[in-house]
Amino acid sequence: MDIASSLAIVTLAALIHASFQLSVSVLTLLSGHAIGAKNSHARVMRLTFGFVSGVGVMTLLALSFISLVFLHVFGNEAPQFVWAIVCGLLIGVGLAVWIFYYRRGKGTSLWIPRSFARHLSDRSKATKSGVEAFSLGLTTVVSELLFIAAPMIVSALVLLQLPGQWQLVGIAIYAVISLLTLFSIWVLIGSGHKLSSIQKWREDNKHFLQFAAGGALAILGFFVYVCKVLSDATGAI
Amino acid sequence: MAENETTVIIKRRGQRPTEAFDKTKLHKSIVAASLSAQAHSGQADNIAYAVTNYVLEWLESRPEVTSHDIRLVASRHLRAHHPDAAYLYEQHRTTL
Repeated sequence: MDIASSLAIVTLAALIHASFQLSVSVLTLLSGHAIGAKNSHARVMRLTFGFVSGVGVMTLLALSFISLVFLHVFGNEAPQFVWAIVCGLLIGVGLAVWIFYYRRGKGTSLWIPRSFARHLSDRSKATKSGVEAFSLGLTTVVSELLFIAAPMIVSALVLLQLPGQWQLVGIAIYAVISLLTLFSIWVLIGSGHKLSSIQKWREDNKHFLQFAAGGALAILGFFVYVCKVLSDATGAI
Repeated sequence: MAENETTVIIKRRGQRPTEAFDKTKLHKSIVAASLSAQAHSGQADNIAYAVTNYVLEWLESRPEVTSHDIRLVASRHLRAHHPDAAYLYEQHRTTL
């Protein structure tokens, strides 16, 4: 697989990551509590920026960690069966996202354990400083691992094959693109948009976001399967 | 503002211990929702005062209610004052 195709896969995986909504929900709650507690606009922006930074750092660490583990286990090229398993995982998670991502009923409740959701909700209310917001960002990525593991794993496998400097570029591309949604919400809050409008938009479009994320995961799985597993197998024949 | 310390609130379908109705808690939550919906501080206080009074009147003839009932009644009245604040108030538990 050439560098351009590899980076394209990493970009699509990061876009899928960006379409997942847990961190956006926590950011909405955090800013709601911060504004409701009569904090100044600058303080609200500091808190929310701390949160976005935490999510960014944890995403970088998680992707680097997964890549490092794969590097130690498989070296620079993972075996075909691992690629096949990861393609199956992508398609499986895509189907699961179509069926399970949002809970039934009003609002944007997600299919994550309720204890996780309560913890994140309580922490977003209790967060008073930038450092706490940063650690909330770290925790949020861990809570979202159920959904983001698949795009991260395929990105890690793709990154392993690249030369050293392109691996760093790939990790940076993934981290930046996966933060696009959060960064957009941060800018919207900063420019004075109403939280209720943001939340209404998310609620009105939740089924589209769910369909897009699930569909993109399945497409990515199919593309990697054709590009890596099938083409290598036919090449070997 | 009228007082009401006799009504018992059943929380999370009885999964958490019951507690006496606390009007300050309701007032604070309405103020927070109104401020989040970009109401001014004074306006948020006035809205919270009106909504809390309405809920207190509603509670007068009810010795036992659930926290969900209070949320419904408060959001219904809040909608008349500030629809965006009511939306955020209703969504609070279903955002995540």
